[in-house]
Amino acid sequence: MTPDEIGRILAEAAHRALPEGGGDDRAAARAEAAILKDLHSVTPLAPSWLYILILVLLFAAAAVDSASVLGMAGLFALSPPQRALIFGALFGTASLAAVACSRQMRPASGRNLSPLAWLLATSLLALVFALLFGGYDLLHFVHDGIPCLVAGLSVAVPTGFAIGLLLRRGFVLDWSAAGLAAGVLGGLAGLAMLEMHCPNLKAIHVIVWHVAVLMVTCALGFLVGRVSI
Amino acid sequence: MIGLVNEDNSRSTAIMGSLSVTDQAESLESLMSRYQQADEAAAAALVRRVTPLLRRYFLTQASNRIHADDLLQDTWMRLHRARHTYRPGEPVLPWVLAIARYANLDHYRKSSRRDAHERQVDVLPDPPGPAAPPSDVPDIDTMLSALPERQREVIVMLKISGMSVDEVARATSSSPGSVRQKAHRAYQKLREILSVPRRTP
Repeated sequence: MTPDEIGRILAEAAHRALPEGGGDDRAAARAEAAILKDLHSVTPLAPSWLYILILVLLFAAAAVDSASVLGMAGLFALSPPQRALIFGALFGTASLAAVACSRQMRPASGRNLSPLAWLLATSLLALVFALLFGGYDLLHFVHDGIPCLVAGLSVAVPTGFAIGLLLRRGFVLDWSAAGLAAGVLGGLAGLAMLEMHCPNLKAIHVIVWHVAVLMVTCALGFLVGRVSI
Repeated sequence: MIGLVNEDNSRSTAIMGSLSVTDQAESLESLMSRYQQADEAAAAALVRRVTPLLRRYFLTQASNRIHADDLLQDTWMRLHRARHTYRPGEPVLPWVLAIARYANLDHYRKSSRRDAHERQVDVLPDPPGPAAPPSDVPDIDTMLSALPERQREVIVMLKISGMSVDEVARATSSSPGSVRQKAHRAYQKLREILSVPRRTP
């Protein structure tokens, strides 16, 4: 039996059980009356590419502005190839997060990225840091790490919140996925700021404390999104 | 926020009654664009044309069958609030069904939470449907209930709503490959069901 034959049988069975025009017309009439009562002209949402651009600019502005206030010691401590690799990877991941955010604004606008994809992206960033930096001794590990975590979160959380506000211009169907994507982009802004600001190039410090900013805002975004459902 | 109006539908009825043949033949995409521009006739025509499709979608979702009419209204309210997110020229059905499936999902979540706190004292029977003539093929419930929720959703959109694979992929926020895979698995299960000989009553 071919799929077409199965489809035909299914369609016929559906037609027998649920004929066209069957059901309660009052429900449709009530919905229609409510719609007509509140009917006014709306402007279609701007194209997705514009929102992607705005989100990427928001990420870059949050990272650069806050780093310029706190100091750019980290940027000067990096060699040109390290800068290219780190900021290239951060920009690429931020662009992906911006696409994911813009898709959340408009129903049926594309495939959702799974939480596993974000875990993979975070792991890849950690791998880049592990390849570029050395030093795994735990001297002053917590003492040096906490200020970085606090500084990173103080940039990441407001950025994520601003992204959440921008997402509200659309019609988000899945706030957990939208919160996660906003958390990723906000977290990346905090991480990028730390890479420009923090001159501590120990691999263990960067992988644990800097990447923790991203992990915390991801979890926070997801949880806030879930609670708001 | 708009509220549901339970009475005084005379205005909408009048508009529905005045739907022209042109409205019936006009594409959903064109009606949706006019609806965005606050065209009352287009809004009424859209409701009239999309509602049967939505009702069928909800009736084929076993979990929310008895709430189909509530879901229908909830979905229309969501569609109304989300109408600015429709891009003129793009297919309407994936956009509508993407919103409908989340209305369905939210309703399921809420009722699951409520059921967890309430003790059920009696099982209500399903509302009686139209009497189906005797047939040598299983009824729609038998066929669809054999499928997992995701496969059922895909097969309903493909074969009952008449959407393309790409449209279903858009509506379900997945890839066309994933849709084809779910449809393929659903066909395998349905083939097994249909191959079982049935007695004609």
